[in-house]
Amino acid sequence: MRSADFDEVAFFRSAHQSGARALLIGRRALVLLGLPVLTADYDFWISIDDIDKFNRAAASSELTPSLDAEAARRRGRYVLENDEHVDVLVARSIPTVDGVPVAFDDVWTRRQTISLAPDAVVCVPEIDDLILTKRFANRPKDVEDIRLLNVLKGKDT
Amino acid sequence: MNDRLRAVVDRELTLEESHVYLKAPITPREREGVLELVRWFTARYPTPVERLAYVRRATARWRSVSGATTARRP
Repeated sequence: MRSADFDEVAFFRSAHQSGARALLIGRRALVLLGLPVLTADYDFWISIDDIDKFNRAAASSELTPSLDAEAARRRGRYVLENDEHVDVLVARSIPTVDGVPVAFDDVWTRRQTISLAPDAVVCVPEIDDLILTKRFANRPKDVEDIRLLNVLKGKDT
Repeated sequence: MNDRLRAVVDRELTLEESHVYLKAPITPREREGVLELVRWFTARYPTPVERLAYVRRATARWRSVSGATTARRP
């Protein structure tokens, strides 16, 4: 599937309707919250038990997983790809670069939902949790994004 | 994006580097700049779908300008 043919809403609709517990993280989550940042990728953190559901949903958008579910569980991450690129985290808990453990179930419990269409909903972490996911890596753009999120939530630093 | 630029953009900061940056106070000017961007973006693209579509268009423009046909991360 060429990138120009990718139906983004259809992809999110399939993911939602699959019943997979999937959190959109990364810069597209910032975009949904109102921050105009540029990104080419999609980043998800999904329940480790829902890989097959999520992959079946992605298959309807012709996205192919880089690893089978068992290998993805062992590795903690995989990629769904055609001309689009979806990074998927599948760990139950991920430490930040500062060593703070972040549990998927906790973040999922506090999630916020954003409606794209009547039958298409995206789940994103609440802002403090999104900031924590931005500490999974420690790249310049991650710390930039944390400052943007802190402004959005009205913090001073 | 060429490889040298990508190496800069995707490099891992040290903890000290990131802490210095993150602990720096957000100035009123920085705050107002960010909030102005948010106001513009959410007024120009009031729905989540419009915002996502804007990013796809902007990324496509970036790719065409940079010649990054296979690059993934602007």
